[in-house]
Amino acid sequence: MSQSIGYSTTPPTSSSRFSLQSITSSSSSSNTTTNTPNPPSLYSTTNQNPSSNRRESARSNIIPSGQGNSSLQQQIFGSNNNLIIQQQQQQQQYVNILDRPLNKSKNSEIALSSWAFMFSEIISYSQSRVDSVTDLEKRLSSLGYQVGQRILSLILLRNTQTLNLKDPKREYRLIPILQFIHTQIYKFIFGKSADGLEKSSESEDEYMLISNESPLTQFISVPKDMSDLSCEAFTAGLVESVLDGLDLPARVTAHWVGDQYPDTPQRTVILIKLDGKVMDREEVLGK
Amino acid sequence: MTIHGLWVISKAGGLVFSRSYSDVLPPQPVNTILTLAGILHGIHAITAKLTPTPIPGVPVSGLESFEAEGWGGKVFLTPTGTKFVVLHSLPQAGLDELLRRIYEIYSDAVMKNPFHTPEMPINSSLFESKLQTLMSSVNA
Repeated sequence: MSQSIGYSTTPPTSSSRFSLQSITSSSSSSNTTTNTPNPPSLYSTTNQNPSSNRRESARSNIIPSGQGNSSLQQQIFGSNNNLIIQQQQQQQQYVNILDRPLNKSKNSEIALSSWAFMFSEIISYSQSRVDSVTDLEKRLSSLGYQVGQRILSLILLRNTQTLNLKDPKREYRLIPILQFIHTQIYKFIFGKSADGLEKSSESEDEYMLISNESPLTQFISVPKDMSDLSCEAFTAGLVESVLDGLDLPARVTAHWVGDQYPDTPQRTVILIKLDGKVMDREEVLGK
Repeated sequence: MTIHGLWVISKAGGLVFSRSYSDVLPPQPVNTILTLAGILHGIHAITAKLTPTPIPGVPVSGLESFEAEGWGGKVFLTPTGTKFVVLHSLPQAGLDELLRRIYEIYSDAVMKNPFHTPEMPINSSLFESKLQTLMSSVNA
């Protein structure tokens, strides 16, 4: 069982919501070549035959600025050297996010301010399209869900590639997965791990991820008439999709608890309520 | 060495934030402060118009500070037209640095807050608490 889990980066459940087809196909091909010290760059910028690469052709569809035309001309009129050189120069100048090697994480950070402004716009946009605070949280959560799916696939792929293992390890037990989220996922998104991972004292199936000051929402102050809104619903959706992707269905919600902690007024708890079937499985698997 | 108060005036001349940070400033009704801020906005516009040798293409800054006996005010104009006015005791050092810090807090806590409407009164508890921390460190 663990063998098959280890080789697949596709989350076993909710495959209909999972839309990263090209990543799954490329990861299966990379697993066959794990013996090479450096896995070949998946989306090499010097690809001579754009139509054979799905990602390449997708990119030329996205960019309307003549690049799609040139590859089309190339197909119709045979290889024209000038065109190929021109195309390669263009590709070197503008390295599209889809063309970047997936296993490189250097220089891929973005400024916190640009994120903060974008997130602020996302919230204003969502706010104008909902009637209640609950709906707004749902919207943010579903946005986070989509981000989480992509991040999970990317992290698992990168872990497989950097560790260069023949038999990559993949967690399937509850506690290691929660620790994986607490450290690896949080570090990947926020640059630091969460401030705490606690088990609820009231019920067996509830766990809490605690962050004292989330970089995502640190500039946001919620007005008094919406005081039960927590913009961390985005993170909650993200955590939910990662859990879903690792076959731990759960209901994840975000709660602001800063009023109980005067030292950390922005303290937020991500509450994870696990599905009954997860608890049953944990019991069967035992210690 | 005391900061008495802070006003934030929007680019249309409306007062969007005012807070006093010392107890020596006589308390004024909100309407009075609104009127004073409007007058200050007008004076600022007039002084900008009166600049004798304006450099073409470079925006003129207008009124930068005013002084009275024992106290004064310093005006900081952002590139977008928002004005920060600090009322302070005399002499006061490090005002430029203080105003830059206020501008920084404003950009962080007000402009990045999705629940703030531009040109409307500032209603952010984060902005107030960050300013409070800054002002108590200066006034201490």
